Amino acid sequence: MSSTTVATARRPNLINSLFPSVVSGIVLGVIGAAIAGVIVNAATHGGNQDATVSAVFTGWLLFFFVGIGAFNGVVKWGFARRDATPAEELQLAGQGQGLWRYFRFTTDHKVVGMQYLATVLVLFFVGSMGAFLIRLEQSTPGAIYFNPATYNTIVGMHGILMIVAAIIMVSGPFGNFILPIMIGARDMAFPRLNALSYWLLFSAIPIFLSTLALGGFQTGWTGYAPLAVQGLTPGMDAYCFTIIVFGVSITLAAMNIVTTVLVMRTKGMTWGRLPIFVWGVVLSVILGLTAFPTFIMSQVMVLMDRVFQTSFFVASYGGSNWLYEHLFWFMGHPEVYVIALPAMAVAAEVTAVFTRKPLFGYRLLIGSLVGISVLSVIVWGHHLYLSGSENGLAAPFMLDTELISIPTGVFFLVLIGTLWRGRIWVTVPMLFVMGMLVNFVIGGITGIFLADLPTNEILHGGMFVTAHFHFTLVGSMVFGFFAGFYYWFPKMLGRRLDTTLGQFHFWLFEIGFLGTFLSLFYAGLLGEPRWSANIAPPFATANLIASLFTILIAASVFVLVYNVVITLVRGELATSNEWGAKTLEWTVPTPVPLENFEHLPEVKSLPYDYGSPVPAAERGVPATEGGVAGAPLQAKPQVES
Amino acid sequence: MSTPSPSLEHEMHELAPHIRVARARACALLLILADALSVLAILAGGGYLSALNTENQFRTAANHPPAFLPGLVVAIALVLSGLAYYWWERRVLRNGGAGQRTFFVLAWVLMIVALVVQTWISIILNRAYTTPYSAYESVITLLMWFMAFKHLLAAILGLLLFGRIMRGRIAGHEYLAEASGYWWYYTVVASLLMWLFALGLT
Repeated sequence: MSSTTVATARRPNLINSLFPSVVSGIVLGVIGAAIAGVIVNAATHGGNQDATVSAVFTGWLLFFFVGIGAFNGVVKWGFARRDATPAEELQLAGQGQGLWRYFRFTTDHKVVGMQYLATVLVLFFVGSMGAFLIRLEQSTPGAIYFNPATYNTIVGMHGILMIVAAIIMVSGPFGNFILPIMIGARDMAFPRLNALSYWLLFSAIPIFLSTLALGGFQTGWTGYAPLAVQGLTPGMDAYCFTIIVFGVSITLAAMNIVTTVLVMRTKGMTWGRLPIFVWGVVLSVILGLTAFPTFIMSQVMVLMDRVFQTSFFVASYGGSNWLYEHLFWFMGHPEVYVIALPAMAVAAEVTAVFTRKPLFGYRLLIGSLVGISVLSVIVWGHHLYLSGSENGLAAPFMLDTELISIPTGVFFLVLIGTLWRGRIWVTVPMLFVMGMLVNFVIGGITGIFLADLPTNEILHGGMFVTAHFHFTLVGSMVFGFFAGFYYWFPKMLGRRLDTTLGQFHFWLFEIGFLGTFLSLFYAGLLGEPRWSANIAPPFATANLIASLFTILIAASVFVLVYNVVITLVRGELATSNEWGAKTLEWTVPTPVPLENFEHLPEVKSLPYDYGSPVPAAERGVPATEGGVAGAPLQAKPQVES
Repeated sequence: MSTPSPSLEHEMHELAPHIRVARARACALLLILADALSVLAILAGGGYLSALNTENQFRTAANHPPAFLPGLVVAIALVLSGLAYYWWERRVLRNGGAGQRTFFVLAWVLMIVALVVQTWISIILNRAYTTPYSAYESVITLLMWFMAFKHLLAAILGLLLFGRIMRGRIAGHEYLAEASGYWWYYTVVASLLMWLFALGLT
């Protein structure tokens, strides 16, 4: 009997579907959490709440992964009589399981990419609701809706949720779904590890949300110690566990992506021919791989201080808050570039496609991304200018922080050079790239004031900083994500998003964003401090304007949700090469077959050698002619009429 | 969508041998990189607290270091484990997957010995320390338990490799012995470094 027949001959029943799946994972996870909590609570005679909570989280994690079947492959790797057959691997990759494969430990990189995409959108939605609550509270002077502790928890949850979502927003969905196809691979290097990295992220979400039931955390998203250690509620433990699990997830994902690009590139896909998006993702995850271990260790130390009464951050026993600040910001600043690099690469990718021009300064842009990666590791000290550290350190940190503006400037040069005299096809992805450029200029220039010690001394701790990093992370990088979202949505979901609604989404978002955060820049220049639930009367007008503009952002979120929903329900079917692009993902059919390529393609040139302003698909030319040899699984890509 | 033929499906699924080797090596090295940075963070953190010596409370006269002799036993067990693994790995690579099992078992047992003794050291130490721990005791506690954790990971890896050896599934996959060896040797080196750091921390 053939392997295909074996794979499809197994009759699915309810038990086979549920075990293992997310359902069995949750059931076992809850049972494991309860048992671990009861045991540790009894062992400590109920005297160490943090230990009990930590045990509950550990039990949840361990048994969730048993329940979802994450250890099955490990055990088989060691003790099975033979390696998995291709049919078994395809079964694990979700073959013939319909939509249910999204709720299992499925190894197909496209399933994992879709899982990441759905999770990112949900996290953004929940995080943006937190933002609206913050703006609601700050719309008028006086704490009117929340008490300060609740407000602080909302700010902290909004912050860390958005940071987590932003870190994975490009590398998660597109890095998993698109990147392997882009380099001509059939899957990631380690499909099981890929599934594990996603489900680790998933398992951290209930832990994070449990902070609401555990009294919240009042430290803000940075989780600064010793406040984190002195915090009375075990909601802080939830924060620490979330970061640790997320850090492990990111590390595994990074290892997988780097290994995939190192060893799985198809014939002819040399480093000099890699799409710029691949470069951006690889550099981003390498940066994450080097930055996150210190963050994980900082949270391990905080947990030890809370659970075992160690004193890493307690001054009276020889500890120091500076240790936390160094460990945190050694991750915290590179993390900005972990978010930025892939979003910048998406912008470059999209710009080349919609200007129908080769990417201006391809190698220069790679150099600038590498330069940003290297410099970003040595700038963390600028977050400690006013913490009382050695004055002599300020100048070097100021210098290298400002040096980053050079490779970042190269990014602008490359994009403007690509746009220059191009026949720009103003699509929704391109609109988001334009918005990103505008916002990133503002975010970048205001960053210089914060990099300089004299101005930092005035602006530090104020709303100016809040506005600056929102311009950088949201106005620039989230806009980059949306450029990628609208660009790759037809390939990932096989349907076209509504263009008018997309444009509506963009304009609401851009106008709302500019109105909100330019107002907050003004409030910051007036001297409004951050981390205050109450706003003082002198800042009332600026905050009211900011809050009113937030309504536009909220409206844009709902437009996006509506657009996605109606597209999924009754959207137009997409063609295989929707934009006439030349990278490999557009040479395979839509929906993409399980193993992507029937025969692995051979690459013979850069994917940006556009000679014609007219999309190849529109001219009825098969997409495989764009410097790429190799056939998609179906006979030929669909051609737009 | 057309269904590919079974032979084609098999061909699609199979990875070229050189890719399997390269991916195992890359994965092991990247894992080591990430873990080494964690170790570095602990060592740098410990050294930093020691240098700051906040309120002269980093280490008081009552704070004692981990016991030397049991630590030495762990160090010797680790070095011997590393050597035994190396011996086995060389034979596996030379003989197409047929190494001398005894040496692998020896390496694995020595790693388990290191794990047990290290755990015992950590438990004894924490019983001797009184809460709240000083910063010195905090760093030592973290180092000791982190070492035990690393030994545990290596012991689990050894268990899985042992399973493959017993099933005869190393032959044809010699690169697994090599890539696992990277982690094995790294565990030995990192643990020795942490032990020496703990001894030298004042």
